[in-house]
Amino acid sequence: MFATLAAATLLSLAPQRQTDTIIAVPAGASLSVNNFGGGITVHGWNENRVKVHGETGRRGRVEVSLVGNTVVVKTGSREGAPSVIDLEISAPQSMALTLSGTYADITVDGMQGAISAETVNGEVNVKGGKGIITLQSIQGGVTLADASGRIEVNSVNEDVELTNVSGEIKVETTNGEVMLSGIQSSSVDAGTINGDVTYEGTVTDGGSYSFGSHNGDISVSIPERANVTITTATANGDIDASFPLPLTNTTGRHRKTFKIGTGSARMELESFQGDINMRRPQEMRDRIDSKRHEHDRDNDNDNDNDKDSDSDTSFSAHWDVNNAAAYAARYARAYAPAYAKTYAPMYAQKYARAYSRAYSHIQINPQIQVNPRIRVDTASH
Amino acid sequence: MNDIWTNRLSEYLDGELDSAEQAALEAHLATCGACYATLGELKHVVARAKALPDTPPVKDLWAGIRAGITPAQAAVTARPPVRPSARRFAFSVPQLLAASIALALLSGGGVWIASRPQATKAPDTVLLPPSREAAVRQVVWTRNTDAAIADLQTALTQNETKLDTATVRIVRQNLAIIDRAITDARVALQKDPGNAYLNLHLADTMRRKVELLRRVNAMAART
Repeated sequence: MFATLAAATLLSLAPQRQTDTIIAVPAGASLSVNNFGGGITVHGWNENRVKVHGETGRRGRVEVSLVGNTVVVKTGSREGAPSVIDLEISAPQSMALTLSGTYADITVDGMQGAISAETVNGEVNVKGGKGIITLQSIQGGVTLADASGRIEVNSVNEDVELTNVSGEIKVETTNGEVMLSGIQSSSVDAGTINGDVTYEGTVTDGGSYSFGSHNGDISVSIPERANVTITTATANGDIDASFPLPLTNTTGRHRKTFKIGTGSARMELESFQGDINMRRPQEMRDRIDSKRHEHDRDNDNDNDNDKDSDSDTSFSAHWDVNNAAAYAARYARAYAPAYAKTYAPMYAQKYARAYSRAYSHIQINPQIQVNPRIRVDTASH
Repeated sequence: MNDIWTNRLSEYLDGELDSAEQAALEAHLATCGACYATLGELKHVVARAKALPDTPPVKDLWAGIRAGITPAQAAVTARPPVRPSARRFAFSVPQLLAASIALALLSGGGVWIASRPQATKAPDTVLLPPSREAAVRQVVWTRNTDAAIADLQTALTQNETKLDTATVRIVRQNLAIIDRAITDARVALQKDPGNAYLNLHLADTMRRKVELLRRVNAMAART
């Protein structure tokens, strides 16, 4: 606890340094950023250059270079433990991005190229992007909006949310919810172990859709004129539709098939423990809105109601004043051991001297039996 | 893995689709990354399998196998003549999952395992025995995947000091979540062994565990 507080204090007191680098880029160049801890924010703009603004602290440094056709941004520390650095980057909208971090929140908006973003303990929030888009976090949530292409989004311990996304979509998490809305796709594969899966989007003739969970409910929207063969499977849940559903086949105890229209699209809905719900699009949109409002209220009240009681999950929050404490605690825990190691030798002697002078007036009564394991050095007084 | 074309990929590789189907599949491959990736993995599987030598069995097993399959005919049917032919590999969905897991291990996690000082048993899930019994295939598949998972978990235990303790804790919590799901599926399968959904659910849940372990081990390797 002491180390955590000490590190948090040191971080908050560390003088902030700023660096700005602008580099002209050739057409078709890509951007590669690696930042161990802090934030990576990339905005798309209409200029043929990359601007990198870094908030580095006293020891941090930012290196920007052009390697071949790639602008490479790396962060580091002049000494000791890695620094917490916030990077704000403006880049041409068409630039392909490769962003990676460990304790980093990644935010992208206004880009129109391929995006790869990976972090361990942080959120990934992307708005925009075209082509191959791969987003991953272990401990943080991942959101993607207004993007198109071949999409692959993964988390492990948090939710995944896609909004207004088109293309071929594959989404997976383990301990979190999957929420897909405004989707235009003929190929969607989404799954989780411990959470609900919600899909509101197109069901295209000849398309392929697969939604699965172990412990959560599956809720999908089926447009009225869809031509789809739906195969449902649940071991312990119920199957429910808000419209007439013609049963065409039952396989074993758990599997049921329904054919709507010509049945040309294939949809698999599977949950081991949860229910399977099929709704009309408007009904599903209403439910999604309602769910979002509940989530927003929870965030406003700072009353974490996620599935996991582990307090770590609350660290994957957006960076704002309300989350400052969580932010500080998160980085304190990450850096406390390294900072303690660095600063202890530096300040221990100084404080020892200062305190020994401050308390030098206290006389030790020679009659008091001193614990022989405690050394009292009076020579320097 | 749930794409309608997935089960046709091995036929495509074997050149067994007619021209219309082939054209349709190729058009689909141009737009479906999952199928394209699976096809690539299949090609690797087939290439690896083809590279294996044709070792003759130490004794003629055909009589016993034949007797086991069709006992009534075994006594009167002679062993079919052995002729050299190209190996043909047709894959069911569980086998595809197994193959993709094995390749993931061989290409990613396998590198990790191979780089460790201790010798570990390589998962041998690529070449599944051509058993006619789905249940037997499933048992073999899950046993081999269990072995692969055990190797990856050992690797994680040995290397988790390279990761942040909070990350390790979260990963272990999530592995426990997957383990509970695997146990649920196995218990259900004991009651209903032939259930296709349960078999696929177990296979898919085990795949998730392999992928999570592989991902975390790869992350530790980069740290």
